[in-house]
Amino acid sequence: MNSTKKRLRILTMCIAVIMTCSLMAACSSGNNGGGTGTNTPAGEGGTNAEGTAPADDTPFEITMMVTQHSAEVPSNVIPQLIEEKTNTKIKFQWVPDGSYDEKLNAAFATGSLPMIVSAKNTDFAKDAIRADQFWEIGPLLSEYENLSNLNPEVLNNTAVDGKIYTLYMERPLSRQGVIYRKDWADNLGLSEPKTTDDLKEMIRAFTQDDPDGNGQDDTIGLSDRSDLIYGAFKTVSSYFGTPNYWSVEGDTFQPEFMHEAYMDTLNFFRDIHSQGFMNQDFPVTSKTDQIDLLVNGKAGVYIGSMPDVLTLSNQLADMNPDGELTVVNGIEGPRGKGIWAIPGYGSVVLFPKSAVKTEEDLHKILAFYNELMSAESANLLTWGIEGEHYEIKDGLANKTVDQVTDNTHVKPHNAWAIGGPATIEGMLKGYFELPARALAEELVAANDEMLIHDPSAPLDSPTYIERGGALQQIITDATYQYVLGDIDEAGFQKAVDRWRAEGGDQMIQEYTEAYQAIQ
Amino acid sequence: MNQPASAPRTGTPGPVISHRGERLRRIMKNRYLYLMILPGALFFLLFKYLPMWGLVISFQDYQPYLGITGSNWVGFKHFERLFNEPTFWMIFRNTIVLFAYNLFFFFPIPIILALMLNEVRLLMFKRIVQTIVYIPHFMSWVIIASISFVMLTLDGGIINELLVFFGFSKINFLLSSDWFRPMYILQVIWREAGWGTIVYLAAIAAVDPQQYEAARMDGASRFRQIWHVTLPAIRSVIIILLILKIGDVLELGFEHVYLLLNSMNREVAEIFDTYVYTAGLRNGQFSYSTAVGFFKSFVGLIMIVFANWLAKKFGEEGIY
Amino acid sequence: MVEDRTWGNRIFGAVNMLLLTLIALVTLLPFIHVLAGSLTTAAEMSAKKFILFPTTISLDAYAYIFSTNTILRAMLISIGVTVGGTFISMFLSSLMAYGLSRRDLDGRRTIMFMVVFTMLFNGGMIPTFLVVKELGLIDNYMALILPVAINAFNLIILRSFFQNLPEGLEESAKIDGCNDFGILFRIVLPLSMPALATISLFYAVTYWNTYIHAILYLNDSTMYPMQVVLRQIVILATGMSNESGAFDADYIAPPEQTIKMAVIVVATVPILLVYPFLQKYFAKGALLGSIKG
Repeated sequence: MNSTKKRLRILTMCIAVIMTCSLMAACSSGNNGGGTGTNTPAGEGGTNAEGTAPADDTPFEITMMVTQHSAEVPSNVIPQLIEEKTNTKIKFQWVPDGSYDEKLNAAFATGSLPMIVSAKNTDFAKDAIRADQFWEIGPLLSEYENLSNLNPEVLNNTAVDGKIYTLYMERPLSRQGVIYRKDWADNLGLSEPKTTDDLKEMIRAFTQDDPDGNGQDDTIGLSDRSDLIYGAFKTVSSYFGTPNYWSVEGDTFQPEFMHEAYMDTLNFFRDIHSQGFMNQDFPVTSKTDQIDLLVNGKAGVYIGSMPDVLTLSNQLADMNPDGELTVVNGIEGPRGKGIWAIPGYGSVVLFPKSAVKTEEDLHKILAFYNELMSAESANLLTWGIEGEHYEIKDGLANKTVDQVTDNTHVKPHNAWAIGGPATIEGMLKGYFELPARALAEELVAANDEMLIHDPSAPLDSPTYIERGGALQQIITDATYQYVLGDIDEAGFQKAVDRWRAEGGDQMIQEYTEAYQAIQ
Repeated sequence: MNQPASAPRTGTPGPVISHRGERLRRIMKNRYLYLMILPGALFFLLFKYLPMWGLVISFQDYQPYLGITGSNWVGFKHFERLFNEPTFWMIFRNTIVLFAYNLFFFFPIPIILALMLNEVRLLMFKRIVQTIVYIPHFMSWVIIASISFVMLTLDGGIINELLVFFGFSKINFLLSSDWFRPMYILQVIWREAGWGTIVYLAAIAAVDPQQYEAARMDGASRFRQIWHVTLPAIRSVIIILLILKIGDVLELGFEHVYLLLNSMNREVAEIFDTYVYTAGLRNGQFSYSTAVGFFKSFVGLIMIVFANWLAKKFGEEGIY
Repeated sequence: MVEDRTWGNRIFGAVNMLLLTLIALVTLLPFIHVLAGSLTTAAEMSAKKFILFPTTISLDAYAYIFSTNTILRAMLISIGVTVGGTFISMFLSSLMAYGLSRRDLDGRRTIMFMVVFTMLFNGGMIPTFLVVKELGLIDNYMALILPVAINAFNLIILRSFFQNLPEGLEESAKIDGCNDFGILFRIVLPLSMPALATISLFYAVTYWNTYIHAILYLNDSTMYPMQVVLRQIVILATGMSNESGAFDADYIAPPEQTIKMAVIVVATVPILLVYPFLQKYFAKGALLGSIKG
């Protein structure tokens, strides 16, 4: 009894002491001053860059934070090939899509950014960029053959105060268009919609005229989701001639919703919603549920990204083998044709000075990206290894791998490519078996002829940075409320007045001034 | 309270000692107890108190690259902004109302459910039900939201189809400010009620069976047994959970509310966390969101101190 | 035992069981939906939306998620973190809770208040991140455990359970010559099995659900636990990912709903199994009577 007690006592004491000591030892390992984290090198592996210029044959180590869009852990096969080409050793920090902003903010605020930071845009760090915390690369680009091919206009859209700090990943300027059930249109004798009136008529007929011929009133025209931008609303609004967020007349900026065309769009949607031509719960419908409506033969029109037609067709074929989808763009409104454009980039990469210590290292990174922008490397990152992941068909890349391999070996690495087919000579475009998907590719290119640009993209407004989210919410709410019939035109006007009073007027003024300063 | 068999220690502390030497002697006597507390205390100092300097950024225009030492001090600017928000009182009211729903409609349910489970004599049945009702706790709000959508949507949702089938008109559950609160609290009850019973069941498990035996001898009915034996046994746990719940007044579950929130119910659904998310966090406004958090914590602190004081006033032990 | 077989009590018992059966049914249905969804085809899932009994059975979703070792690895990591974390947490919490449960301890109210204070005020993500970083815990599984090793709520509950133990226990133990450690480990803990089981469960569930710390403190994606993978799939499959910016639906088609359901099942079932296993300890309270007897 006594010895058991003693043993137990010693044991528990030991554990307590060990735990205590380990905690205390941990404490003293460097908590001095709490750390403001200003210039501490990047967490793991960031220190390597410091000072030491590696001899020519030792690979240069690069740390990179990049979005992971797949669920599977990305494979190392393609990065290894790139490493060999560029004589580098890449250390990835893959961050899941849904939490990228949190990770980025945390790493940024604690001085733990890696050497290469990928981000949607420069908004998260504008002040730091102005305070010279990131390398300005604009003047250096001309030294690199491939990097100098990047589009100056797009680069300018990423600029801060006119200076360029980023490389960008290219995106087609506008993919937006209309996808609809071709077989339904044929059943009803409808031809391809050319105008907004045609579009509305198609949506009506798909609801009321029994397009699937089953004798039941069980279809609706439009399937939409809770997204005013990438859903149907913004695209239709540009058919009506609404500016892309902002218009500039003379020197004065005006927000899109103060234009008549925006009101036309509101009425368009209010009309089809109140008559039951679209899903009634669209303000809370997810993309998955939106797609389900279409592929289940309940809805016939989908307005959004035209390349989606591929996924949609595949799913539709499972459920309605006779169904056929097609795409159309260039719908003409009362003010002519138009389609809103993104600023031409999908994401940007920045180089924090806290991790990239010397200009020499910066040049090594730029050389690395210069190599990534060669046709060979770009194809490798986008399509994988020829013969293994894709084959060339009619001069286009045709994927030949199963989904799992694609998701682990190839697709994740799309996320750290820069540039794109428009800026890389000889980069392969995709081959698509499905005619509608191939057509979508053509129409995306055709969109370039009628783009409506956002004039505020290269400009800056402090009020936008501080209150932009809350202000936009006022208009978003009012837009939904108007479409659903909760408020009338006077109610919408009241929301606009609130927007102006709470900072909108200031934003107008700031953008106007910023615009004049550049002109 | 008459609990002959296992009377919990009463709340009176040891005799007040003014004598310093005696106090020192007592501390020495309890040295092992302090040793036990030490690792935990270090944990709290290191991971909870040390980072608290982060709160000062609510009084700064914090810039990550300047750090705390380098950022400008702006006093109460961010708090002024919060209190001057045109929507401040709307958000405050929404938060308080949702809290009241939580307190009155959710809080008692796990207690009742635990009492019901405790009354089941069939052990197998009890265990199975217990396990089943705790499953929903493991469903993320995203999943619950998407299942709710499938059931409630106007576009072919099961509930609305049933309503139509029975000759009623459809109800716009998802896009209405009238249905937001009931929906919110029903989802909370569905997800957390079973999970909440666990701690009460553990407290009930500590009750001495002899007490029931004695009560039955006295001819007490099942209700009277619950009232006189079971409830007193879990009373202290109930009170502690109640105090903690009251301290959570402004914590209503960001993700849950955010998923239910939309343009049509914002006037009743917007709470501080969702507001900060749309207004500030996305633009990396560290100072403003910290200030809002500070305000929430402060309100919580007042509430918890008050609740603890009240509990003591009623002769309960309270938390501290 | 005196049985109470009066009519009133029988009706009470029957109504009670009926109600509980209903409640169990309502809570179970959505889970059955998830389970059924994971076992059917994507087409059926998309057509029916809410499924309880799949008409076509398909294991494709499970075949898909186990076609790479991502899920299996994440699962093992989660189990490791959960087991290790729960052990550490229970050790630290029991010690501290017991120390604070003793009424003759000077300063206990102050310490308790300071514990409660941390439930309300916290410095936020950034300073905590810096502490973790300074301790060298980045890319270390301990970063998922140490910063949350003691949960104030669990500590308070555990302490309350210890406080409710009968007073005489310690006195008799002291007479037997036990010191405080002896009392805790040989008398208090064995008598508190329901409480320990409950708090262990709470900790285990917290560790199992670890998500944001993994994102913040781990840079190596091969170290991600189950919830990170689960959440990624759920977000992708629900179509919630950000379409602007880098995400490109053209290149990455969202995973099918059935896959989402299968991952939920795989990520949930292990932790669901913990509770039935712990339930036997909930009857152990009976011990108390015999000891004191």
